[in-house]
Amino acid sequence: MSRTILEVVDLKKHYRQRAGIFAALQWRERFIPAVDGVSFYLKEHETVGLVGESGCGKTTIGRTILRLTPVTSGRIVFDGHDVTAMSTRELRPLRSQMQMIFQDLDAALNPKMRVRDVLREAIITHHRLGDGEVTRRTHELLEQVNLKKSKLSSFPRELSGGEKRRVGIARALAVGAHFIVADEPTSALDVSIQAQVVNLLRDLQRQLGLSYLFISHDLEVVQLVSHKVAVMYLGKIVEMGLANRIARAARHPYTHILWSALVEKKSREAVPVSARTGAWGVFDFERPTSGCRFAPRCAVYEARGRPAVCTDAATEPLLREIGGGHYVACHFPL
Amino acid sequence: MKHYVQVASEAGESSDRPVWKDADTLDLAYVGYGLLIVTLVLVSYVLGAFKWLPYDPEYIRVDLLNAPPGSAGHLLGTDFLGRDILSRLIVSIQAYFLPGLIAIVISLVLGTGLGTAAAYRGGKVEVLVTYFNNLVDSFPRLVLILLVIAAFKPDIYYIMVVVGVTGVPVCASLVAGKIRFLRQKNFIEAAHVLGLPTHVIVLKHILWHHCTPLLVIQATLGMGEAILIETSLSYLGFGVQEPTPSWGNMVQAGANYFFQGKFWPSTAPALAILSTILGFHLLGDGLNSILEGKRGT
Amino acid sequence: MGAPLLEIENLRTYFYSPGKQAFVRAVDGVTLAIARGETLGVVGESGSGKSVTALSSMGLISAGPGVISGTIAFRGDEGERHLLQGLEDYVTLHERDGRIMEVSKDETGWQAHVERVMAPVRGKGIAMIFQNPRSALNPFVTVGHQITEAIRLHTPTKDPRDAKARALDWLERVKMDSPRLRFDNYPYGLSGGMCQRAMIAMALSSEPSLLIADEPTTGLDATIQSKIVGLLAELKSEYKIATMLISHDIRVISRLADNVAVMYGGTVVEYGPAPDVLAARFNPKHPYTAALLASIPSAQNVRDHGDLSAVEGEVPDAIDVPRGCRFYARCNRVTDDIRNTCARQEPELREVAPGHRVRCWLYGE
Repeated sequence: MSRTILEVVDLKKHYRQRAGIFAALQWRERFIPAVDGVSFYLKEHETVGLVGESGCGKTTIGRTILRLTPVTSGRIVFDGHDVTAMSTRELRPLRSQMQMIFQDLDAALNPKMRVRDVLREAIITHHRLGDGEVTRRTHELLEQVNLKKSKLSSFPRELSGGEKRRVGIARALAVGAHFIVADEPTSALDVSIQAQVVNLLRDLQRQLGLSYLFISHDLEVVQLVSHKVAVMYLGKIVEMGLANRIARAARHPYTHILWSALVEKKSREAVPVSARTGAWGVFDFERPTSGCRFAPRCAVYEARGRPAVCTDAATEPLLREIGGGHYVACHFPL
Repeated sequence: MKHYVQVASEAGESSDRPVWKDADTLDLAYVGYGLLIVTLVLVSYVLGAFKWLPYDPEYIRVDLLNAPPGSAGHLLGTDFLGRDILSRLIVSIQAYFLPGLIAIVISLVLGTGLGTAAAYRGGKVEVLVTYFNNLVDSFPRLVLILLVIAAFKPDIYYIMVVVGVTGVPVCASLVAGKIRFLRQKNFIEAAHVLGLPTHVIVLKHILWHHCTPLLVIQATLGMGEAILIETSLSYLGFGVQEPTPSWGNMVQAGANYFFQGKFWPSTAPALAILSTILGFHLLGDGLNSILEGKRGT
Repeated sequence: MGAPLLEIENLRTYFYSPGKQAFVRAVDGVTLAIARGETLGVVGESGSGKSVTALSSMGLISAGPGVISGTIAFRGDEGERHLLQGLEDYVTLHERDGRIMEVSKDETGWQAHVERVMAPVRGKGIAMIFQNPRSALNPFVTVGHQITEAIRLHTPTKDPRDAKARALDWLERVKMDSPRLRFDNYPYGLSGGMCQRAMIAMALSSEPSLLIADEPTTGLDATIQSKIVGLLAELKSEYKIATMLISHDIRVISRLADNVAVMYGGTVVEYGPAPDVLAARFNPKHPYTAALLASIPSAQNVRDHGDLSAVEGEVPDAIDVPRGCRFYARCNRVTDDIRNTCARQEPELREVAPGHRVRCWLYGE
């Protein structure tokens, strides 16, 4: 049984918003819940996929784990240490174990530094090594991410998208990290390059025993690379379970919408009306409906004649197990 | 009609072209002229410091008052006391060079420090820095200098400290602006994730890699400014005092004879002021558009 | 059917990189045709030249040297027009070793000429919707007003009140929720999906003969994407408007397109009916298309190939264009028989099945 290396417990992150002069005069502030009570855990050598639309809070979760954003409440336990309670100084050694791959291809790359210096910096940040060792390690990294040696003296602007992504991955590996938060690692890449990167991440996992938190808006990719998938909607996990259960036997109406969106885009036949989404509306963060957040867009809610239990604030659906490690937050799972 | 030519038949691997190859010709001319002036100033400074001069700048020749250029070996002539103008021009650089450097160092160091603190820490620090900047900016520079002179004594070093401090806000806001711009780019965040200590990130990733051109440009412009202030104060009689030469007091002294047809004692230092300040400003300007304009991030 | 609505022949659009002192051969000999009522899907990766092809046909290339050769014939309601007519008078080309190495172009003259030629075509003849609808809409003018203006400018409806009614009508047709309310909204008040709807309404309201949709779904959320695609599909069946649909997303293309052109490194490498081009097992087929289809992350592909079968190598560089086949360096289907030819000589776009053309030596003589 592999051990748990990351445990997120009831994580909340509220962004403060000053709502105009009038509200400010009354000392009233509004809070936008970007992440609203999320719990999950990640075992060694495993990949957990976080999937959801933009604004659902998935990126915020990744950022809070690496303490790029402070949390409002909740615990993030990495390898036995509560990340939220540590000082910046205490946190530093932990950074040699967890790293992040940013959505932005240029993120890891200071535009004025050559690839060689980028990797060198990452290698010596946590390990004092001699020049020879650094060179050896650099070449080893290049080999691992499948990058040509000639690229070492390139500046970031001279690299293609795929190469930049590889350097970003190499940099995360350079510190010796075994847990990586991959925030939309493929969305900025071309289709033919996306598959390369996905395969590279999977190979590295097999070779080095890495664990990933794989954040993406693309359910299909997430489902392919992950062991477990958590589907998020407006700051909450609405469904979580093993990847193939999410793929074949999703129970939450929102997960169904995500899948049908993919199918609808592909197939030339019209998708049956029952599977289609309800209202067009885009959720307004500032006025969360009471009860189930998904109700305004939910086809089941409509089909069942708008039951009161869905919109009653007291009965907001909680994530509950429906067997086989499959959790769903819905009163009427499909 | 525009003309485009591909030189190599196969475009080569990414070439690491020096910046000046893509620069505008005019900008290059600016920088060239500026560098020429800087070299002249440096050489003159050394000559003056070691007293390697054609004549003693304070030696008075009563027989050669206001002698025109070229007479009796005086290349630029003599002034109203028969002192060699060229030697005095060269020695004058002592009057502003070191004080000017001090002014630059003060504004750059303080400005960078405050700017970095404001942009990086944010919050209360930023508010304090903004207040400081506004406070300094709200005093007219010349009034402040005159106040200091009145309170202490007309010493060029005191003046240059004031010049340095009043230069802080410009530098601080430039650095802060640059850092705020850089912080939107994720690589600073990525450096934090890597586990680099904050001082390394600030010094290496931000200041060294991205602010050096900015600071060099600021230094060049600051030197021009320092010269301008020194010469104008010396002209007014508040700066460097006779008999120590300064371009400002040379212009002042020579001006009395200008309308008697003896224009050279004032024209020579005036031209020196003009070409030097122009040189420093054009250097700053040219560097700005070459380093920060097109290729900068 | 008669002559196609839009016929692009051997279009070349180059840019110049002063840093490398070399041409960026963004579009390098593209030939396409769109019939009336047809939707042509143009699929390719970044840098394949698909967007530049669209912008070239709209006369919207401003960087130099821009369009340097080719013909574009547009046969709209007002008869046939040659959009690149007289290009030779403005451009001189010099070739060395069979490729263009020197270009002289009177850019200001050409720009003025293009504006004269395109003025009656843009909006009225050919309308365009862009990848980022928010930046394509004027942020200071209400959505409704922008559409009304477009109608008054391009259609016979000149009366402000009639135009407004028509604008509302169009907002309804693109399924904007509460169109009356949205009519007076500024673009920032609309979500990305709604902005795209407004953009589509504006493009269609001038009743163009051809619609160019450049990455209409990119950057939108998955559920919104599928709705926009659904809307485009409905509009297609309802109005039969000819469309050039540009996308990197094969899933979008396969849903909407009648014919597909696969672009790679500035040229079309495969061209034919959508079901054939996008069927993984259809043969003959360009190795690039095959690899692209296999690399789409889907359970089907993983079942078929074990892992995702990635296209090896990098997206081609438009500056350093290889001499032979542009895909040669990444191709996994080169056989020893044709290896030499592939490396040295660029294949022609050859018809391999009725209406299906492939640019590959595998299907040579």
